[in-house]
Amino acid sequence: MEEQTDLFRSARFRKEREDDWIRLEALVAKAESHGLRRMSFGEARDLAALYREATTSLAIAREISLDKGLLLYLEALAARAYLSVYAPQESVRGVIARFLRKSGPEAIRRSWFFVLLGFLCLGLGGVAGYLLYLDDPAWFYVVMPPELAGGRGPNATTESLRSVIFQDDPNASGLGAFATFLFSNNTRIAIFAFGLGVFLCAPAIMLTFYNGLAIGAFVGLHVERGLGWDLFGWLSIHGVTELSAIGIASGGGLQLGAAILFPGQHTRGEALRIAGRDAAKLAIIAGLMLIAAAILEGYGRQLVQDTNMRLMIGWGVGAFWFWWFTQTGRERP
Amino acid sequence: MKLRRKSKAPAADPNVLLPPEGVPLRLEVAGIGARFAAQITDILLTVIGATALVILLAVMDLTSPQTLFAIVVMLFFIIRIPYYVLTELAWNGQTIGKRMMKIKVVSQDGLSLSAHAIVVRNLMKEAEIFLPATLLVTLDAASVGSSLIALGWIGGTLMVPLATPRRRRLGDMIAGSYVIDLPTPVLLKDLAQPVPRPVHARFTFLSHQLDHYGALELQTLEDLLRAQDNRPRGANAQQLVTLDSVIGKIRRKISFADPVAPADRVAFLRAFYNAQRAHLEQKQLFGERRQDKFHADKPPQD
Repeated sequence: MEEQTDLFRSARFRKEREDDWIRLEALVAKAESHGLRRMSFGEARDLAALYREATTSLAIAREISLDKGLLLYLEALAARAYLSVYAPQESVRGVIARFLRKSGPEAIRRSWFFVLLGFLCLGLGGVAGYLLYLDDPAWFYVVMPPELAGGRGPNATTESLRSVIFQDDPNASGLGAFATFLFSNNTRIAIFAFGLGVFLCAPAIMLTFYNGLAIGAFVGLHVERGLGWDLFGWLSIHGVTELSAIGIASGGGLQLGAAILFPGQHTRGEALRIAGRDAAKLAIIAGLMLIAAAILEGYGRQLVQDTNMRLMIGWGVGAFWFWWFTQTGRERP
Repeated sequence: MKLRRKSKAPAADPNVLLPPEGVPLRLEVAGIGARFAAQITDILLTVIGATALVILLAVMDLTSPQTLFAIVVMLFFIIRIPYYVLTELAWNGQTIGKRMMKIKVVSQDGLSLSAHAIVVRNLMKEAEIFLPATLLVTLDAASVGSSLIALGWIGGTLMVPLATPRRRRLGDMIAGSYVIDLPTPVLLKDLAQPVPRPVHARFTFLSHQLDHYGALELQTLEDLLRAQDNRPRGANAQQLVTLDSVIGKIRRKISFADPVAPADRVAFLRAFYNAQRAHLEQKQLFGERRQDKFHADKPPQD
């Protein structure tokens, strides 16, 4: 009876498996510091196999062992190994490529109804703003934030309005304009239209509609002075992209709000989670489009002064977005 | 009329995660303090990093002021959402701050953290962390109404993680993720080492003497013995008193008649630990789990 403790089932159990656990611990440490990708095939295979062995050991130890030190160790080891084994297997580049090729456009197609609603809010706001301005130019001051109008208003001369549209300032730097754009009102509206959509849709609808109002009044001012076509070109070159981004962002927000208002068969939390899958993608697409619009505004509008050319670029880019949303990522027969 | 409530299953332990292998793992939900510290660390690191870069560019005078301004805007755009998304994608749910605080984002369904979850929880950061932080900085005593709304927003976003069992933000709820403390595995020596024959012969415990205690007492004894191992030689008087009183209590409880010599204190406890553990594990194997010393008072479980 020298080796009394060898009668212990749990002590024997530990002695037999201890080496594997220590090896797993080393593999986990390596996976955490170097990443799974840098590990050799053998190591990665052993990591997965030893992890499953460790979870089995843990399940058995919970039944047969009362050694607290061992139980705590196995708990921590299995958890740590779990986190390494179930790490995302995709590279950052792979995630981005998949989003651009497939999941982004698919999300837009799936949530076409909400995107349509977003555009509708914007469009109705535009029509309302236009009609209001024709009714009484004083509305311009109501709907247009003064810092955005930049001195343009019902009192400005037609000449000064034209000079903004066809400005030829050689000192203007493209990057500078790009930067101002990122700070601009519309970017903020897109962010808020998305983020506030979760609060039962109302803030998203109001913001988008209000943005439409301002644009409508602005267009009304120029049409009245006979600058409608030129303004159309000036707005088109980046506006097609920018306003679409706002429409899409508010569509994403509306989707979140709708999930809370009408959860259907799910609980509200679940519905929010399901809607979030597409809404988040809409937000990213809107963000990409806003950056593209910033580049167009920063460079395109300064370099291209011809209205027809502006129209072509603006709507050409618009057609590209349309193609991306409708044609890419479809299953080809 | 009575309001009918859905009969709820007992709330699941928030600290337990079920991986696909089906063996529940214990992963402690990270505390608000650690997460707050990680967030502050991230903000400080990114802002200081971006500022240092801008100052460097400005001092080197390579670019025109307008380009510099554009770079500043880009940098301060990147250190908001993109920084968090990219670091959590690259380091499996950890930003630099989270690495320092040893916490990590995991997916509640037990599968890998998806890119979608990471993007969503960080998109919501804009409304849940950056907006309240900005509001806090710009609080204005002059405009009471807007200050109250701002305070309400700040309080609301702080309340959400405090009110949910897994300390989740709204972003975590939409993404189906939560944040855990990283466990550290430490393999301690098995206490159940072979006992030398003379000691073993002296301390023999009979089956009825081992029927008094349960798992809780056994593991408390384990802690005491492990602490004893870690101490340098030459225990001080206080420890000896503790050991003596423990030995006295055990001897009285199990009616162990033989006296224990002062030199044999630890040897006695080890021998008792071995015998008690063997006994309890044997019982457990046959389906009788003894939680603590009150096991005899409880009605047998079905």
